Amino acid sequence: MPPLELLLQQTLNGVMLGMMYALVAVGFTLFFGVLDVIHFSHGDIFMLGAFAGLSALLALAAVGLRTPFVTLPLAFIAAMVVTGLVGVMAERVCVKPLARSAPLMTLLATLSLGLVLRESVLIFYPRGADPKPFPQLLPAGGFEVGGVAIRYENLAILGIGLAAMVAVDLIISRTKMGAAVRAVAQDPEAAQMMGVNLDRTVDATFFLGSALAAVAGMLSGFYYGEIHFIMGITGGVIGFSAAAIGGLGNVYGAMVGGLLFGLLQTTAAAFIPRGSEFRDVVAFAVVMLFLIFKPSGILGEKSVERV
Amino acid sequence: MILVWLAEAALFVLIVAGILAERPLTLAAVALAIVIAGALLRLVTPLRSTLARAFGRHRTAALLGGAALALVLPVTLRSSPYWTFVATLALLYVTTGQGLNLQIGTAGVINLAGAAFAGLGGYSVGLLTVKTGWPPWLAAAVAPWVAVAVGTLLFVPILKTRGHYLALVTIAFVFIFNILMNNLEFTGGPQGIKNIPTLRLGGHAFTARLTLFGVDLPAHANFYYAALATAGLTTWILGRLHDSWLGLALNTLRDDEIAARCCGVSLTREKLIAFSIGNFFIGLGGALYAVMVGFVSPPDFDFGYSLIMLSVIIIGGVDSIGGVVLGACLLLPLPERFRFLHEYRLLLYGLVIVVMLLYRPRGLWPAGIRGYR
Repeated sequence: MPPLELLLQQTLNGVMLGMMYALVAVGFTLFFGVLDVIHFSHGDIFMLGAFAGLSALLALAAVGLRTPFVTLPLAFIAAMVVTGLVGVMAERVCVKPLARSAPLMTLLATLSLGLVLRESVLIFYPRGADPKPFPQLLPAGGFEVGGVAIRYENLAILGIGLAAMVAVDLIISRTKMGAAVRAVAQDPEAAQMMGVNLDRTVDATFFLGSALAAVAGMLSGFYYGEIHFIMGITGGVIGFSAAAIGGLGNVYGAMVGGLLFGLLQTTAAAFIPRGSEFRDVVAFAVVMLFLIFKPSGILGEKSVERV
Repeated sequence: MILVWLAEAALFVLIVAGILAERPLTLAAVALAIVIAGALLRLVTPLRSTLARAFGRHRTAALLGGAALALVLPVTLRSSPYWTFVATLALLYVTTGQGLNLQIGTAGVINLAGAAFAGLGGYSVGLLTVKTGWPPWLAAAVAPWVAVAVGTLLFVPILKTRGHYLALVTIAFVFIFNILMNNLEFTGGPQGIKNIPTLRLGGHAFTARLTLFGVDLPAHANFYYAALATAGLTTWILGRLHDSWLGLALNTLRDDEIAARCCGVSLTREKLIAFSIGNFFIGLGGALYAVMVGFVSPPDFDFGYSLIMLSVIIIGGVDSIGGVVLGACLLLPLPERFRFLHEYRLLLYGLVIVVMLLYRPRGLWPAGIRGYR
């Protein structure tokens, strides 16, 4: 039986990873809820958010601003806005026009759009092929609790992630736009009859989802210390898997799914021999099992179609 | 009939000239000729309709003419082993593309793990020949069945679920496959499997230069003909399959599962059949690739290649047998020809696919409406 400290440490790591995955998964689930589409380029939007944040931080440093208290919020906001706008553009160009045709078309179109985003960063960002170091702006140092090392950085990541998720929850459940999103997710036609502007609601959903992905991207940059243009592929697949586990269309399901996936990865890495190489395999294998036996997810998918 | 052959010959000359032209003057002349030909076809309607009628009436002659030209291609390209290699690669993509097209286009089973199944074929050949000493032709014959077996085992439970879950599972499978091949020792790790012996037909090794009717051809020509035979056979088999009742059932189940069920089409059985047959041909392409190139490694079969296989089908035409051939023949040589665009290759692929899906979702050579005589 592995020592308790190791277990707790890995749980902490798992929760942190899970937080980031959950933020991406919420985007997937929102898009599925609103338009009934899987937006496969969302993973690359996550990558774009990380790069946007990096660019913002570098730009601020170049101008002379270095105090984390100031630069962090600014960079986050900049990244969220830019990524949100890119997300809306992606939706306008290739999700909305294809929403009525066969799902295969949207899948392929968004997959290709993801490819375009990825290659654009590779080609147009200076030396795009190299992993880029992310400035370590979060407070360093930490403390120990019962053998488990807790770093301030980890707490900061947890805090920011949690704040983002709470914000999403508040937006969805307390604001008028949130109500519009929920209405469109339930029944687009009825929502329109109630005076909901479908186009604007869809735009808002994509902005929100992409902004969340930007937060996740920056958190990932802080956690790993570097970002790479291919992080969107795995990020997207993991986010989608997490959303699927939790139940597509259900925002809380996405959060649960993300946390579950993060915990799966860290426990696999810690407790299976040669686990760190195979942790993705284990996690995906579990996802596949989930999809076989309970495809509607933990908290239930938004609609069930049976023949 | 003569018209058909003339048209095919003209196209052939243009293509070979386009491939081989080196000097700026010849290049400009060929480009001009292609543009003029294209403009004539587009604008001069009587020409287009006469050609269309001629090709429709003399199908066998057209096919024979095309086959003859394909057989002659290596002779014209004999000065460039590189282009023979590219042509062979295009033919391999035709094979895998037809298999993938059966799954995605005809049956609507979204398989984004094309690279993984090709990898299964390739790695099986590698393991069977290098680790257990089987002769290459036997390994290449058995390897596609490995792909089929793995596909069936892993996906029988999933095939009942909705489309996007299947897509997710296949993506996960590509990643799992890549990680496993990279990390397991018996598959050679990141180095892969080297020194796969080449095919031998009656004592003639496929890496030796080939002499055909007095013409000396580069070594790759051997594989070109093998790939041509395979691609031709695959296209013929899958073409017949597409036109059969099985193809009709698959199309029905792609378009509307509930209606298909009401007509007595068994969803899981038909999807499984399409998936397995498709995987066979995808694995076959991978196996031939392994024999041709002589080694396999994990980066040869990653997600990017799945996307390339996908773009072949989309650009050519979903569910279109001819479209797959066109897609492969366009998508493989063109980036090689326009080497200066090599860096932007994937970006352009992505853009072209998005544009095609928005404006020509049925591809460059759309599948025709089924006709029953």
